[in-house]
Amino acid sequence: MLTTIHPLVKLALCLIWLAACLAVFDLRLQIATILIAATALVLLDRISPFLVLSLMLPFVLFGFGFLTTNLACHQEADFARHIAEHALFAAPEWSVGLTLFLRTIAIGLLSALFVLTTDPGRFVRALMAHARLSPQIGYALFSVLQLVPELAAEARQIRLAHAMKRGRPPRRWIGPIETARLLIPVLAFAIRRAGRAAIALEARGLGSSGKRTVINVPEIRRRDFVFSAATIALLALLLAVVLTPT
Amino acid sequence: MHDSRPTREIAAAVAYDAVAVRYPYCDRPAVGPVDLALCRGERVLLLGPSGSGKSSLLLAATGLIPRSIPGEVSGAIRLGGMPVESRVPADWSRHVAFAFQDADLTLCGMRVEDEIAFAVESRGLPEPEVAACVSAAMQRIGIPDAWRHRRTATLSGGEKQLVALAAVMAQEGALLLVDEPTAHLAPQAADQLHRLLLQRDPEQAILLVDHRLDGLIAAIDRVVMLDGAGQVLAEGLPHALFRDQHRALSERGIWSPIASHLDAALIAAGVVLDAPPLTLDEIFASLPTQARPIVSAFVAERIVAPTHANARPLVRLESADCAPFLGPTVLRNVSLEIGAGEILGILGPNGAGKSTLGACLAGVLRLKAGRRSGPIGGIAFQKPETQFTEGSVLEEVMAAIRDRGKATEILARWGLSHVSRTHPYQLSQGQKRRLALAVLTATGHWPLLVLDEPLAGLDANGAAAVERDIERLCRDGRAVALITHDMDFALKVCPRAIVVGDGGILADGPTPLLLRDEALLARAGLRPPAIAPAMHWLERVTAC
Repeated sequence: MLTTIHPLVKLALCLIWLAACLAVFDLRLQIATILIAATALVLLDRISPFLVLSLMLPFVLFGFGFLTTNLACHQEADFARHIAEHALFAAPEWSVGLTLFLRTIAIGLLSALFVLTTDPGRFVRALMAHARLSPQIGYALFSVLQLVPELAAEARQIRLAHAMKRGRPPRRWIGPIETARLLIPVLAFAIRRAGRAAIALEARGLGSSGKRTVINVPEIRRRDFVFSAATIALLALLLAVVLTPT
Repeated sequence: MHDSRPTREIAAAVAYDAVAVRYPYCDRPAVGPVDLALCRGERVLLLGPSGSGKSSLLLAATGLIPRSIPGEVSGAIRLGGMPVESRVPADWSRHVAFAFQDADLTLCGMRVEDEIAFAVESRGLPEPEVAACVSAAMQRIGIPDAWRHRRTATLSGGEKQLVALAAVMAQEGALLLVDEPTAHLAPQAADQLHRLLLQRDPEQAILLVDHRLDGLIAAIDRVVMLDGAGQVLAEGLPHALFRDQHRALSERGIWSPIASHLDAALIAAGVVLDAPPLTLDEIFASLPTQARPIVSAFVAERIVAPTHANARPLVRLESADCAPFLGPTVLRNVSLEIGAGEILGILGPNGAGKSTLGACLAGVLRLKAGRRSGPIGGIAFQKPETQFTEGSVLEEVMAAIRDRGKATEILARWGLSHVSRTHPYQLSQGQKRRLALAVLTATGHWPLLVLDEPLAGLDANGAAAVERDIERLCRDGRAVALITHDMDFALKVCPRAIVVGDGGILADGPTPLLLRDEALLARAGLRPPAIAPAMHWLERVTAC
């Protein structure tokens, strides 16, 4: 369902919600955000819960320091207290470390919600049509999307070549020494590949003088207004609950 | 200042006037000076050995050299009568469409419909007209409507090449420049591409570079041949040119249709056909049965002699499930063995899993299931650059054997002494392949060698050198697994072959038998070798 929402409308709503999470330092808001975003991803858009969990791993690791300090030492880290003090609204009755930990995950989930439910092609086209994104930058982004799996394939091929020289199959997980050995050949490949892609795009007319038509631009429809109104209403309700003094 | 007015006479689609292209730090031009003009609707094939500057000539046509690729272009190029410098390369896309060798270069990661629309969008046409151009191009190429919304990253190699071609066709340019579009395609996909590319359009001129001539040459109006120095050696109608210049073509390593080789053999034996042929069918339509010994000898030279299966098995796969590195299983229940001194052909369509099977056979990839026994093998990868890690050709060999004297000897044996200080990435494609083989065979580490598409991008001399290298490796007692799309090469070099398809091995047996099994070839998306009409003719004549 979220995939059908206009990408720029969705981006704006995600940014507004994200700003609310940053401005209001309250445990309940972060928990509600996590629950709403996870439910929307898993139930509305049928995204695998395992994928959502795996994407949250870096955010969990990032916020884990605050949580361990809070749980193990029963005291707040200075950095966490400093962040809480700078929020517009802060609820002091909740643990700062725990709130910060959950806020990290909430931000991660909001980002995942946008990325997992947005077609990059529609997004870039919407940016070119409505946000005056230059076609050179827009199509460069498309090429990067194409390049990423190619870089991975190239890295796998180079690992096979290295494995052959060592005389044993490559390990599943790549170590730091092997990563360092891959860096320069993969970089060289990326530079060569990007150069050739730029030439191909130019040969197909990118950068020509005159106006460029952009087809398949997503249109803002009634459902986008309805979705926006519902989202803003839900956020307002949540903020009213958490900001109302008990 | 350049005169940007069109010339008064009927303007050529493209006209090169004494054009030469020189790259930075090179003391001689990569190509030229060349004089060449294409009329509207004319289809011209540009031939030449590797490194003769064919691609440079195409890139200079719209000013990509020197504007986007550093280089110096002398002489004059006019497109539709206008000097090329009068517009930037992107603006020429309204008149000139460019099909690159690698479809992944043409496509930039969007959906099929968006890719095809890309160049038309550059013209600023209203959206309905863009949509009409896209639909027309899809219909012309035969792309199903169901593909419209597919991401190009989900397409196979052959499908991507079709979408790239549709994107080029949608441009409706007066000139189409095509640079080796079939280099990485299986035979059936290559045939389809040639057929689509050369549909007659009286308004569109085509300048084409391709090594695969059989199946293509009959649709060509004129051939222009460059020599190794990048200058025009000969040009003319294909029929006459391939007969008159047969010797020059062979000496310079330029590919010729197989019919011109048989024609030369017949002439040498005193049988001169009235009209110079371009296809074997043209020859056999009028060839007297008395020519049977000549044809028989010609065919025998191109079919490998059977070998006795007494070689000890070197590597064995038993009930193996094969998957690319970190990927899903693509081949199941594969049982296969290769013996010392044996050459095994691995044939199949694009995406069948041939390279994955080669890596599993070499022991470089772990099996998902089943068992492999035998020593680890070496792989000459499709892209030889993959295995280069050193700063010069000599260092690359020394990394394998650590002995400068021996490394120098090896380079001399592989004809690479003159480039010993060159960076491996700066070598020609043929030299890169030879360096990869030189490194792999420098030590006795790899009694099995897997060669993945060793002929891709090579000229005839390069291919002949690879053939000699393979025979030498075989004589040294090494086993060679040869992955190729070139059925004639497999027939000439591999006594035994396997056909990969439908997630497994479809057939395993003597190559001449497999390549005569039309049902098998059709199932595997392969084409009979170009020599097949000669084999059929011999059978008919013998039966009579």
